Amino acid sequence: MPENNIKINELLDVENWQKNNSTSSKGIILNPTDDVQALADTLNQASLIAVDFSNFDDGRNYSQIKLLKRIGYTGKIHAINVHIDHLQFILRSGVDSYELLPEYKKYDVNYASDFSICYQAADNNIGLLEKHKLD
Amino acid sequence: MYKYDNLDSQFLGERVEQFTKQIDRYKKNELDEDQFRSLRLRNGLYKELHANMLRVAIPYGVINSKQLNQLALIANKYDKGYGHFTTRQNIQFNWIDLADMPNILKDLADAGLHAIQTSGKSIRNITADPLSGVRTDEIADARPYSEIIRQWFTLHPEFSWLPAKFKIAINGIKTDQIGMKFHDIGLQIVRNENKELGFAVYAGGGLGAAAMLAQEVKSFVPEEDILSYLESLLRTYNLQGRRNNPKKGRIKFLVKELGKDKFSELVEKDWLLSKDNKELKLNFAKLKKLQDNFKIPIKPKAYSNKNTDVDFNFSIWRKNNVRENKISGYSVIFVSLSQINSAPGDISHQQLKALAKLVLKYSCDEARITKKQDIVLPFVKNEDVYELWQKLNLIDLSSPHNDTFAHIVSCPGLDYCSLAKTTSIPIAKQIQNRFNENGLLFEAGNLSLHISGCENSCSHHHVADIGLLGLNKNEDAFYQITLGGNTKDDTELGKRLGRAVSQDEVIDVVEKIVKVYLANKEEEESFNKVFKRIGIAPFKDSVYA
Ligand code: SF4
Repeated sequence: MPENNIKINELLDVENWQKNNSTSSKGIILNPTDDVQALADTLNQASLIAVDFSNFDDGRNYSQIKLLKRIGYTGKIHAINVHIDHLQFILRSGVDSYELLPEYKKYDVNYASDFSICYQAADNNIGLLEKHKLD
Repeated sequence: MYKYDNLDSQFLGERVEQFTKQIDRYKKNELDEDQFRSLRLRNGLYKELHANMLRVAIPYGVINSKQLNQLALIANKYDKGYGHFTTRQNIQFNWIDLADMPNILKDLADAGLHAIQTSGKSIRNITADPLSGVRTDEIADARPYSEIIRQWFTLHPEFSWLPAKFKIAINGIKTDQIGMKFHDIGLQIVRNENKELGFAVYAGGGLGAAAMLAQEVKSFVPEEDILSYLESLLRTYNLQGRRNNPKKGRIKFLVKELGKDKFSELVEKDWLLSKDNKELKLNFAKLKKLQDNFKIPIKPKAYSNKNTDVDFNFSIWRKNNVRENKISGYSVIFVSLSQINSAPGDISHQQLKALAKLVLKYSCDEARITKKQDIVLPFVKNEDVYELWQKLNLIDLSSPHNDTFAHIVSCPGLDYCSLAKTTSIPIAKQIQNRFNENGLLFEAGNLSLHISGCENSCSHHHVADIGLLGLNKNEDAFYQITLGGNTKDDTELGKRLGRAVSQDEVIDVVEKIVKVYLANKEEEESFNKVFKRIGIAPFKDSVYA
């Protein structure tokens, strides 16, 4: 999966996107409290949605990505401020690209590929043996 | 029982490698304290008062001799020689060096054991009735479903970073045997009017500072849809559970805040959009395979009577600790880990090792761990019971405390736990000693008493006949008392007696409470029934007079 060099300052949050009517921005940056289903119409206009993973213990983003898929969002989903210890989950969540926080850039690209097996279906199971199917 | 295959073993190995790398980074200061905390908890590792504590899962309480041996090895090699069985089908080691963790996890993995998601804001070890498969009145064996659900939510990419810890319990018989109503989710196996199998789903239970019972949010989810339903429930919680106040993170607060109806409506809405996803349907071939794994390993047999010596100690033990198996010719044996003078739930590495041999020889290589911190040997031939008792005697595991007042449930408290406000284990010992001396032990019958050293309520004191909760007032230890809880056939929360009593008074107070019960008890009436009949007033009068 590519890392993607999108600059955060080129993105707007939902509120500013709605105000500025989208033209000046490359995409939307989602807030963990944004209600994806309620904002479906707005979100679907953006060609890119960035999801911020800077908060190490906040897992709402993962469900938001799930809901983006569910509302039929067809643009790109980009994970930003990614902690390397989250990568194994983020890779499977359905994002199209991600950007690690700077402090993790020194690690080998394969750092997070510890697992060859998964126990459940998710958006992306590429390269994994799906144990739930094999049994 | 479930046997780990090569893929499971590989997965555990990969998890060990991952955590080993994380420990290295922590040592090199490349992981900060908070991040490492979050990661180590997900691998069962706590920082406690004097050392690190490691919690190892015993999924739905099923364990074999190889695993018991491996726990013995860990207790001996990496701990001070002991393990402590918890009330949620886990075992804890209290003296663990961080540097040993990679080797410990490898040793555990060798026996198909692990510490994944035994702590932290994740989906914890799934508990089930320890007598699953052995009961006569079972609707279905909970263990195959427990295993499927356990696997599905292992490192789940959507639900690994929840607002708080999340505990699931599954009950396969009509009465609640696993305290499912004080879990975040309780799943009751049911049959609908068409005799199809499914689950009634209870959500929002939890003990702790604001104890609440789970409420039914869905009366029937077909078995094939249980994974998608659980996902929808977890998604609703993941998105809406409180994250700004660590004390209000558990799902019980969300269910209470929204109201049960609104909560179940939100889950239902989500579920209708995902339930037809084929990937989320239960894999029936897999279920069948698991059901075969969990098949009862014994067939009815005639009882060949062996002559046993008349022994008074044996008779008492048999009365308390031996129950009939539904398969004729076999018994279910309860090994109580509540000997006088040792901490409830504690077991030495020598005992674990010896027990492993007995489990292999006498119980088809299978034992179960209960929520009362006991070990059950479910498949013992009737004619072997006496011999087994003699052997348990030799390793000091023949205390006849099962189903009696001597069987006190206690958390580690101040002796081991960094969150504790008061001691628990010494209080348990003092109560046992007091009732040994005053001769009321027999009369007290199967009265239950649980002690927690702080509001986290690890001993489940709310659901005991007599619950003691340790509090700290101006540096002095006090105990809040609740009466009339129940977790024997249903789940009920105890009522608070009144002001907390000091540590000096607490043993006397317990004695007074028991005396009020005995004075009012009619025939074999349980504490719970007496309490309901006479109310709290007589107890108050006696204690606070
Ligand atoms: S109840 Fe409190 S003191 Fe006891 S083990 Fe749990 S956290 Fe520790």
